[in-house]
Amino acid sequence: MKGLFKSKPRTPAEIVRHTRDLLLFVDRNTETRESKREEKMSDLYKNIRELKQILYGNSESEPVSEACAQLTQEFFKEDTLRLVIKCLPKLNLEARKDATQVVANLQRQPVQSKLIASDYLEKNMDLMDTLMVGYENTDMALHYGAMLRECIRHQIVAKYVLNSPHMNKFFDYIQLPNFDIAADAAATFKELLTRHKSTVAEFLSNNYEWFFAEYNSKLLESSNYITRRQAVKLLGDMLLDRSNSAVMTRYVSSRENLRILMNLLRESSKSIQIEAFHVFKLFAANQKKPADIVSILVANKSKILRLLDDFKIDKEDEQFEADKAQVMREIAALEPRA
Amino acid sequence: MHPSSTTHFKPCFNFTLYLNIVQASFMATKQEEKSTKRVQYPLDPSSYKILDEIGAGVSAIVYKAICVPMNSLVAIKSIDLDRSRPDFDDVRREAKTLSLLSHHNILNAHCCFTVDQRLWVVMPFMAGGSLQSIISHSFPDGLTEPCIAVVLKETLNALSYLHGQGHLHRDIKAGNILVDTNGTVKLADFGVSASIYEYPNSSSSSTSASTSAPCLSSSSSIRLTDVAGTPYWMAPEVIHSHIGYSFKADIWSFGITALELAHGRPPLSHLPPSKSMILKITKRFRFSDLDKYRKGHGGKNKFSKAFKDMVASCLDQDPSKRPTAEKLLKHPFFKNCKGSDCLVKNVLQGLPSVEKRYKESKIMHETTPSDDDDHEGDMVKQENVKQRRISGWNFNEDGLELEPVFPPTPSDHHQTKEDDAIVKVVRFESEMVHDESQEHDVASLGAISKLNTSAINVNVNNENVAEHLMMSCIVDRSSRVEKIGGVQVGGVLNNKETMLTTLNVLKGSLEQELGQVKLIMNMIQGEEIHQVVDDRQEHMDQEISRLRTELENERKKSLQLELQLQNFRLN
Repeated sequence: MKGLFKSKPRTPAEIVRHTRDLLLFVDRNTETRESKREEKMSDLYKNIRELKQILYGNSESEPVSEACAQLTQEFFKEDTLRLVIKCLPKLNLEARKDATQVVANLQRQPVQSKLIASDYLEKNMDLMDTLMVGYENTDMALHYGAMLRECIRHQIVAKYVLNSPHMNKFFDYIQLPNFDIAADAAATFKELLTRHKSTVAEFLSNNYEWFFAEYNSKLLESSNYITRRQAVKLLGDMLLDRSNSAVMTRYVSSRENLRILMNLLRESSKSIQIEAFHVFKLFAANQKKPADIVSILVANKSKILRLLDDFKIDKEDEQFEADKAQVMREIAALEPRA
Repeated sequence: MHPSSTTHFKPCFNFTLYLNIVQASFMATKQEEKSTKRVQYPLDPSSYKILDEIGAGVSAIVYKAICVPMNSLVAIKSIDLDRSRPDFDDVRREAKTLSLLSHHNILNAHCCFTVDQRLWVVMPFMAGGSLQSIISHSFPDGLTEPCIAVVLKETLNALSYLHGQGHLHRDIKAGNILVDTNGTVKLADFGVSASIYEYPNSSSSSTSASTSAPCLSSSSSIRLTDVAGTPYWMAPEVIHSHIGYSFKADIWSFGITALELAHGRPPLSHLPPSKSMILKITKRFRFSDLDKYRKGHGGKNKFSKAFKDMVASCLDQDPSKRPTAEKLLKHPFFKNCKGSDCLVKNVLQGLPSVEKRYKESKIMHETTPSDDDDHEGDMVKQENVKQRRISGWNFNEDGLELEPVFPPTPSDHHQTKEDDAIVKVVRFESEMVHDESQEHDVASLGAISKLNTSAINVNVNNENVAEHLMMSCIVDRSSRVEKIGGVQVGGVLNNKETMLTTLNVLKGSLEQELGQVKLIMNMIQGEEIHQVVDDRQEHMDQEISRLRTELENERKKSLQLELQLQNFRLN
């Protein structure tokens, strides 16, 4: 009997529909017989694996774009993604990984040269909230995190996530004790703040006050080495990006910010020092330094010059040396204002 | 609980009993799968008591420790994060891999957390240590075939799972295969592993691109291009990494590992790592070479046809002709493969503890004079390239180079280890004579590395390419220097034939170099399009003109050599 069915392979759309039915079954969770439940679960795992194989190919064959398009279309025609996200905690580890990879792949699948995943997400943005708070669940964090990172490839989704009330939770997620989860959250955070230039610039301008207050106190002044190092690097990336020039000008005009960066410049870790220098140089190079910035720099002139003079990096780097020389000239030339 | 106090499995010869054990272990893995919730190990350093150092590398140390609340032995790999790249992408990926892989033949992590500037990766303690450490301590001539089969089969199980998950290990070698007291074999160290789902190349392109979706097909689809691994075990296509490589690169390393287990060291390990790379590129290492060597050696190790056939299939120059891990598992060599008790009985019994072996190897290391990298000239660079990372419990990696036991030629295979070391030192000195050419090399390398750093700012992916080019330049140059050295130190040109071949090799190497310089230039030109910061561009322009002069010089040299070659032919 089984052989008879095997001879007629299911279409990708049929596999999606079958998967959806099984997910609905898992979601309702009305089956009381353990054996029956187990049978359905293993059927579900097989279907998810099949979806993955259509999308990624296997060791013998490469994916067929027609089949991928069909699968994608059927997947987003109904609320399958919501079901997948909802049921993910009920699956076993292998199926969770498969499902995550399927969701990730679908974000990049074009159907008639359109990314329909983006259209679907636009109408179902609340799913992003589920994925974001997923970092609080140790077992789900890496799966939800990977899905979230793929979803924010769509600019419209990144914009939603940046402005979501959960955004400030990232400051805590980055410092979770489990390194694998904290590092995943940090990668997502970085992606959010660097990928879509115009969206990031808009977000930073509109949320300047709270965002940098949190950034300074929770990240740059964290007691955790890796948090400080990642934060000062990301800060440099953000401020040095041309699209964020307005934010940069604002940032380097603050006396409090200068104090924090000067402390980072004095760290014992060489790596943090170097990254801190790339931000500090912006304060010094600013041609319209406010009076309080000038007075701090003047008051610490000799100390800063001595520190920079001794500041050597292992690799020879002409750019760094040139920057350093310029910063030292700027500071040396500063005179107290009357 | 001390490892030696653990009761050993009794060796059993009864087939039905053996089957029962196999079934039992199968059930065990099934159950593991069922409980998706992992036991949470404590995430603070105070819960662990460090007992002993059992391994060390450039940026990491491995300890044997006890997890006090759990009362269980663990291994802790402590990685210095200050040496890691600022985005921590590499450590993040390793940590993620370690927590998401779940296979009975893969050593994953209980947990990982930061302790100030260091990352602690807490793993199960594998009391037998790595096979490399076992071999170098107790089996310098290699293991017996039944034991090799067990180790390789378990490793293949891990590889087959790994590849199915879209992961490349990229550093398969005996040093990364660990054994527990009960004979369990686990593949370790995912420090340079890569996932096709999360590779920079596959995720950095623009949102609208449809071509960026990765795929699992082994034929052509993923194309990793960065050099990773340890030279002796690296597949030719990884060394030539600009053409790209995929899962089959692991199969090559697996084949080399098979030979390592059989002979006690990987082929070509008598050469410095860079040389083994050149040999693979120019001479093309063949399995038959090894056969020849074995005959000349008295053929103490007799291996079955099945074994040789299996290894040869892995070491095919053409990656597409190598079998997949899954297919290899069905190879006749693995039929009638014994259980893990075979390892307990034949390999693990009477073996000193991991920490003791590590201490011994450390002492040996310290007393070897050529250990000091400083006087090795440009070798230091290669050393750095190679040791950018540490292998899990790779206790004695340096020993492989310091005591090259694989004789260079049949004529001097009576030499002792000490003689070998001297030969090596002499070789380095002959390199020193050619200060001029070396200075030139250093200058151009400097140029490339500067390019390299400016490329980093633009695109991280290219950093890998540049790094690779830099490395192959080092390799090529050192070969050239050595060749010239050989000729001049030899002094007398008693053989026109030899001279001709030498010059030909030299010409080939120069041509290759030319190609590489062109590649770098192309890369930079490609880069220019994306370049936004003007002064950077200026900087690049300078570098390009510098490289052009460089190239011109090389062309002249190559011309001169060709003329010389012509002269010789005329004579």
